[in-house]
Amino acid sequence: MAFKFKLNGQEHVLGIKARRPELVATIDDKSYQVAEAGDLGDGGSLILNVDGQAYGVWRVATEHGIHLKVGGRSFFVEHEDEITAAQLDSGAGDIVRADMPGVVVSVIAAPATPVTAGQAVMVIESMKMQITIAAPRDGQIGEIHVSQNDTFDKGDDLITMRPLED
Amino acid sequence: MFSSLLIANRGEIACRVMRTAQRLGIRTIAVFHHEDRAAPHVALADEAVELIAEVPTAAYLDIEQLVAAARATGAEALHPGYGFLAENAGFADAVEKAGVVFVGPSADVIELMGDKIKSREFAAEAGVPLAPSVTQTGDTDSFVAAAAEIGFPLLIKAAAGGGGKGMSIVRSVDQLADAAVTAASEAERYFADGRIYAERYIEQPRHIEVQVLGDGQGKAVHLFERECSVQRRFQKIIEESPATNLDTELRDRICAAAVALSARAKYRNAGTVEFVLAPDGEFYFLEMNTRLQVEHPVTEMVTGIDLVEEQLLIAAGAGLRVDQNEITQTGHAIECRICCEEPDKDFRPATGAVRMLQEPSSENSRFDCGVRQGQTISASFDSMIAKLICFGDTRDQAIEESLEALGELVLLGVANNADYLSQVLAHPAFAAGELHTGFVVDHADSLAPAPLADLDKAAVLIAAALGDEQFSRLVYETPEPYASIGHWRN
Repeated sequence: MAFKFKLNGQEHVLGIKARRPELVATIDDKSYQVAEAGDLGDGGSLILNVDGQAYGVWRVATEHGIHLKVGGRSFFVEHEDEITAAQLDSGAGDIVRADMPGVVVSVIAAPATPVTAGQAVMVIESMKMQITIAAPRDGQIGEIHVSQNDTFDKGDDLITMRPLED
Repeated sequence: MFSSLLIANRGEIACRVMRTAQRLGIRTIAVFHHEDRAAPHVALADEAVELIAEVPTAAYLDIEQLVAAARATGAEALHPGYGFLAENAGFADAVEKAGVVFVGPSADVIELMGDKIKSREFAAEAGVPLAPSVTQTGDTDSFVAAAAEIGFPLLIKAAAGGGGKGMSIVRSVDQLADAAVTAASEAERYFADGRIYAERYIEQPRHIEVQVLGDGQGKAVHLFERECSVQRRFQKIIEESPATNLDTELRDRICAAAVALSARAKYRNAGTVEFVLAPDGEFYFLEMNTRLQVEHPVTEMVTGIDLVEEQLLIAAGAGLRVDQNEITQTGHAIECRICCEEPDKDFRPATGAVRMLQEPSSENSRFDCGVRQGQTISASFDSMIAKLICFGDTRDQAIEESLEALGELVLLGVANNADYLSQVLAHPAFAAGELHTGFVVDHADSLAPAPLADLDKAAVLIAAALGDEQFSRLVYETPEPYASIGHWRN
């Protein structure tokens, strides 16, 4: 039985090779000896020993994934299910949605404008910062769902992308 | 001294002001918007008044409600903190008119220093150096012509501005007209004041500022300088005192200029005079902030003076307790601003719940925090939620202490810049003190997160998997004999 986790945009397959006397986990087919001490609940800290190297770990699981501090750095690891859901939700990048509530400062690209990935299409303001919204891929602007000075909520549609040949 | 104080602010600064007030035996009164009802500043205060507003920030900007709250609670004085109404002359005036002491300068000094053009003229009269500049008085064409005469590069700014809004760097004459129109429209939009000005842009400038205290009678002292050159999006993220690589003679001249300006303005309160320092050693007046500054703790650490206590004493009419020759600068302090943002996505603000918060415990650190575990960071307010200030006998030690404390800080659930701050502090150019306001942009590549070694990556993934319900059940709860068989691949 294997589990898929995503870290820094990369998917990794985790398995369990042995549990006694010591946990041996596999990551992408490489084996690691694991020992731990401390709190094992949802959240809390523990000392994790991987192949003889000790790591201080703080960990909180949420509905979106697992937040961790390991070896002095913070990480976010997603479950496989979450990855699939996120991929479906984004509609393969065809609808640009708001990550957070805000207000539209200016709309740069008009509908039917051909754009290349990364090209600025809209400027929004959120938390007192101006943020440029870039085209997620090459194509053309389908629909602009908001106008200048409109406010929007997290998850609202901002821009629909269309393939160029439409 | 006052017996009660209303703090017209929220977050870490409200908590910080209250701590000093409570130490002095002053009853503290908090104000809050509904969204902040469970925030630390409300819990810490002796009393709290809810401000009603649909938009959370509007609550803290509502002069009428704040004055009414001060009156209703019998507050003798009001501390504005920073941001919100701290530099609003109308607010200071309304507070005083209600018979409540405003912990800050008089309304006319706030107004003078709040106007970039008038304050520059005033600074020039005080003998403070200014960068060559031109103000828009007529149409765009004449402004463009006059600005081009100063020479490029130019910095275009809003007269009423701050925080980088309406600001742009222009490198050639053909970009100038467009930049002027954009800056004026941004200025109009953010500050309801479309006036702009252009000044010589200093390449690789350092941001050096001087903490002052003034008694309102014309006496002013300085508490030395702070260096705030490490910035992103024109906003400071790491500050320190003393400034590194700054010779004493130049430092003294900068501090003297700040004192001259404050004395001439008959400045009352703690204040900060900001300067741009050019690589050639020339320094120019930037602005004066007529309030407590975010980064004031670094000054407190190296001078041993509690600036909030001095603010309260001055407001209460006790004047300045210290003479210039009694103020000394000992050791080195560094402040890191902890912000909920994603440094690798152009420092985009992040929202979410603080699921785990453990403050650093090291002895030489101070953690000024405005949130508690469980609190949701929304897009309503500024992304800065806490400040970590560390002390060392030397700058190297202060860096070491800061890195250690950042390592100890556990802030999980919402993306934040703690790891990024560590990257900056550990950067060789930071250690060498090669600072300028373009530091973050110039070193973007080497400040990106270091790639993870295989073993470290394994530790992260295993730690995550062990926190996953299904995975951990398989590891810990599988009954014998299956547990000993292992290898469940199917």
